[in-house]
Amino acid sequence: MATKFIASHNLAALLERLRKNADLHGPIRGDDGVVRFAAIAPGILPDFSAVRTLLPPKKYLLHPQETILNYTAEAGYQMPVEEVQQLILFGLHSCDLAGINYLDQIFLGDEPDPLYAGRRSALTLVGVSCTPDEFCSCHQLDSPLKALFDLFFNIVDGGFIVTSGSSRGVELLERVKDLLEERGGTVPEDTRRYFGHVVAEQVRPEPDETLPEWQELADRCLGCGACSICCPTCYCFDVLEFCGLDSCSASRVRQWDNCLFKNHAEVAGGINFRKSMAERFRYRYRHKYRGFGSLQGIPSCVGCGRCRSVCPAGLDLRPLAERLEGGRRE
Amino acid sequence: MNSNLPVPAVISTIRPLTVDTSLLTLFTAPSCSVAASFLPGQFLELSLPGVGEIPISYCGFPSQDGSIELCVRHVGHVTTPLKAVTPGDAVGVRGPFGRGFQLSAYTGQDLLLIAGGLGIAPLRSLLLALLHRRELWGRLTILYGARESSALLFLDELLELQKRGEVELQMSVDQPKHCLDGPPYCRIALLPALLDQLSLDPARTFAAICGPPVVYPLLISRLQQMGLSGEKIHLSLERRMKCGVGRCGHCAVGTLLCCVDGPVFSLAELAGIEGALA
Repeated sequence: MATKFIASHNLAALLERLRKNADLHGPIRGDDGVVRFAAIAPGILPDFSAVRTLLPPKKYLLHPQETILNYTAEAGYQMPVEEVQQLILFGLHSCDLAGINYLDQIFLGDEPDPLYAGRRSALTLVGVSCTPDEFCSCHQLDSPLKALFDLFFNIVDGGFIVTSGSSRGVELLERVKDLLEERGGTVPEDTRRYFGHVVAEQVRPEPDETLPEWQELADRCLGCGACSICCPTCYCFDVLEFCGLDSCSASRVRQWDNCLFKNHAEVAGGINFRKSMAERFRYRYRHKYRGFGSLQGIPSCVGCGRCRSVCPAGLDLRPLAERLEGGRRE
Repeated sequence: MNSNLPVPAVISTIRPLTVDTSLLTLFTAPSCSVAASFLPGQFLELSLPGVGEIPISYCGFPSQDGSIELCVRHVGHVTTPLKAVTPGDAVGVRGPFGRGFQLSAYTGQDLLLIAGGLGIAPLRSLLLALLHRRELWGRLTILYGARESSALLFLDELLELQKRGEVELQMSVDQPKHCLDGPPYCRIALLPALLDQLSLDPARTFAAICGPPVVYPLLISRLQQMGLSGEKIHLSLERRMKCGVGRCGHCAVGTLLCCVDGPVFSLAELAGIEGALA
């Protein structure tokens, strides 16, 4: 099979070319040592050695806080009109690609969320191969989510083997074809192989409430919510409305919410359907490993390891998931 | 129609039902689907500009003229300011959302409606739909409990229906308070006690229940003792449905979403789900 190859020394030129028609973002190590998705400035290369960014790419599709409606007395509620700039995300690992695939299923579909859909259509996904570290679990659970990409860069000696996964990817390659070389051989195996599996439908019993692990997790959890902020497939949001100072206009915003917060399942009158931290942990577990609503049966954990790496209490749902879900491969 | 965008509506009348509960009538455009095409048990999202948005069950009957009836208790962050609205004030509505009572399954059957407190609101919508085609159903029985007789809502309507022989009505109040006489057909008892004197044919009866979560376990166990299967006990669940379209994640019941899969569930669907009825 003929594959395209780009030498490492041509990467900067390629990025320069990509930047001509779109904003270009990728994993960048900041002065504080933290790796985050940010603009790849001219002359800077993305940090391919980083196993994970602090926040996942969901921040581009669902902003941490964003206006979803504006109100004026004259026009009533109106959706904001957003100017969307083409954006290329360069350097996504398979888990983050699969995470976007999951979010697509929630926010696109029958009636797409307008803000999400607009940003998603302007987004080009460029994946890069990676090596899982001790926090990663992509290789431990088969995922039915697909690591879809426009382009994928496999890191090999001296450069990258480039694969296109969409017509947009083919077009991009066409624009940079003078930087590419034809190469024989096969594409080396990478973490994409853990995604896109048909997971056998099986009726699993509800997670056993009596397992002591729930309370052990709950006892140590600080309830800070860092795990879901940095989760590529956590999308729960709260909705707030703010009245304008003129008292006749308003804006409604949605902001990232968190299922480990006490008020997540509270209703008017103070009744709380998930009063204890252990109940909230089981809720989180169900969402990550069993799926909700139309995505019931589809685990949403993509194994990126962010929740485990950031948890200040060192909590890890993985051993429990291995026991209750099975499917451990390696 | 975009279900994320509230359509304009105007408050038409505000009828105080009790000291803290009102029946609001609002108007949206004629033939607007928010008003015209809902099933009893479904809900809409009501926006009070500058304050916020809340899910509220439909309380009335679908209308082509754009009118919507909502029964509101003024206790929450949106419903408290809603107490101050006056006719002509602008609000917004989105909906209908969720799965309501499956009327087609009830054809030819006896219906037992059990309401606790404000739970009468969605069941009034169901009752209006049942009365609209009264000939399609068998016995209609209403059991309705409130904390005190002054908190019984829609009392005139219910007593009138009882008088006309359309329904069998039994009510209960937890405590007598100041009103010593109380209305007719009303006992001082907890709601589940009304089942003790009721005879029903479990083979041809569906129960439709809406009330505060605290009454569900006792009502359910009593109905099961009377021979009703889990498929024939239909419950409306209260959750915090912030978006209405299955995205915000607040209303999950196990792996079901109250805003899409509910808010009306059969007991059989909720079997084994932690926290569903807690």
